[in-house]
Amino acid sequence: MARTKIVLAGEGGQGVQSIAKILVEAGYEAGKQVLYIPNFGVEQRGGVSIAFCQIADEKIGEPRYSKGDIVIMLSDRAIDRCSTYADKNSTIIYDTSVCTKKPTCECKEVIGIDANRIANEELSSRVFNIIILGVVLEATHVLELSDIKNAMEMALGKKFDAKPELRELNYKALEMGINMVKKAGV
Amino acid sequence: MVNKLIKEDTKMFLTGNEVLAYAANSAEAEFMYGYPITPQNEIMHTWCKLLPKTEAGFLQTEDEISAGFSTIGGILAGKRAFTATAGPGNVIMQDAQSMAEMMRIPFVCAVMQRGGPSTATVIYAQQETRLTCYGGNGEGFRIVYSTAGHQDLYDYMIKAFNTAWKYRFPTYVLADGYQGKMREPVMLYDPASRGITMVPTEKALLAEGEIGVDRKSAHMRNTYNMEEELMEVLDSYQADYDKMSEEVQEWEEYRAEDAEILVIAHGIVARSARTAIDELREKGIKAGLFRPITIRPLAVKPLRAAVSRAKHLLFTESANGQLAQMVLEKIYGLTTPYSTLFKMGVGVTGDDIVKKVEEIRIKEAI
Repeated sequence: MARTKIVLAGEGGQGVQSIAKILVEAGYEAGKQVLYIPNFGVEQRGGVSIAFCQIADEKIGEPRYSKGDIVIMLSDRAIDRCSTYADKNSTIIYDTSVCTKKPTCECKEVIGIDANRIANEELSSRVFNIIILGVVLEATHVLELSDIKNAMEMALGKKFDAKPELRELNYKALEMGINMVKKAGV
Repeated sequence: MVNKLIKEDTKMFLTGNEVLAYAANSAEAEFMYGYPITPQNEIMHTWCKLLPKTEAGFLQTEDEISAGFSTIGGILAGKRAFTATAGPGNVIMQDAQSMAEMMRIPFVCAVMQRGGPSTATVIYAQQETRLTCYGGNGEGFRIVYSTAGHQDLYDYMIKAFNTAWKYRFPTYVLADGYQGKMREPVMLYDPASRGITMVPTEKALLAEGEIGVDRKSAHMRNTYNMEEELMEVLDSYQADYDKMSEEVQEWEEYRAEDAEILVIAHGIVARSARTAIDELREKGIKAGLFRPITIRPLAVKPLRAAVSRAKHLLFTESANGQLAQMVLEKIYGLTTPYSTLFKMGVGVTGDDIVKKVEEIRIKEAI
């Protein structure tokens, strides 16, 4: 049974839960079985924020799983907390422009991307998470770009209509994320 | 009467908290009382968001003590009222829940368990299992459905209203923060389309008709003068509870018929167990699941039968054996050995269970 388990982990406020929602909504609309558990503390900002996502062809059993196929780590604390969710079959992607260290846990491969720097320098810090969404899309290959765009429209359509340049900005961010993974050759 | 929103089968992609609000509406609930506590807030958020369409009512009280007693007040006034809570909120609502037991109030409450003791985590646990079944200063005259996902949340929230109004014992949907916060597809439906008739809401006080002529007076007490007077009432409650138990008890067995290692788990952990059992069966290991759906009252006969058939039991919970304690009491006399996999306030995964069962097989030479 094809089931892809994605762990998205970062600091509260980085937008991890927002992109997890878009990701699973995209999967749902594309006719996949999906399940998403948000995991965070009592803080409004800060603290580690984790999204456990699953996208599958068949009905999903366990809501929580031990190891992710793709584990995204967007802060030092996320590296510390989430190393336990990786094993020899996991691909770890971490942000070199946020983290001050490299994940050293057991895994299939570790890929460093600098989404935060690029978001700040070339686009806007506000679309950092959308770059990550592009990264997840390209690293998992279970959904199409059009699925994600549809789900973004559902989540952000009103904002896009009010400010059409936001749509372009978000699309650009998605593409940048996709290209980062392509360049890394996952 | 409220407006029901779900008139035909509607597939939706929701969080569990949203599902519960829709389910309460489908069960013709008229009023929710509540106080915010994570991870159940979105039940009241959703309930409120739907109010313009449902024309139901909502009151945010000053705390859970008040939310519990207000729910009782609403029910006494003739409304089909309910509440929801979690964690420390569930703790301080126990006084009202005890009163509902004593006065046989059809009190419906959704509990979305979070980590404990005290504030602990806002995320998830199964640590309110004992509290929800036996909390308060009483005997646990309660019915508790433990759900394992969104379809269960919808089905059993509707059922909870019928059970409460039929048997007049406080009735709970016991879920957890995962189920409250997670998103998965669910089929919403009008209960009538599934042959479910809702037990009507009746006024406990201020009913129609003249007292002594058209109806008896309603004399609802939670205070008694004499010890024996109290025991007489409680004995009758116990008799009612025992009589009802076989009617309401529910359980699920999964590949348990020929299981050598029987996993006993409830709620969302039972769902992880199913994943584990499929994996173990593929490896030729005869594992099965017994999942009590009503964890109070437990389905004792089927439980004892399943336990008798197995060579070894595995209790697994996101708590330190709260269900196991209740089950062990009910299987007294049986000699099937058991192991435990308890993760206090932490999710149990399929992998955890697979690993544990494989260890048991080696250790016990099964």
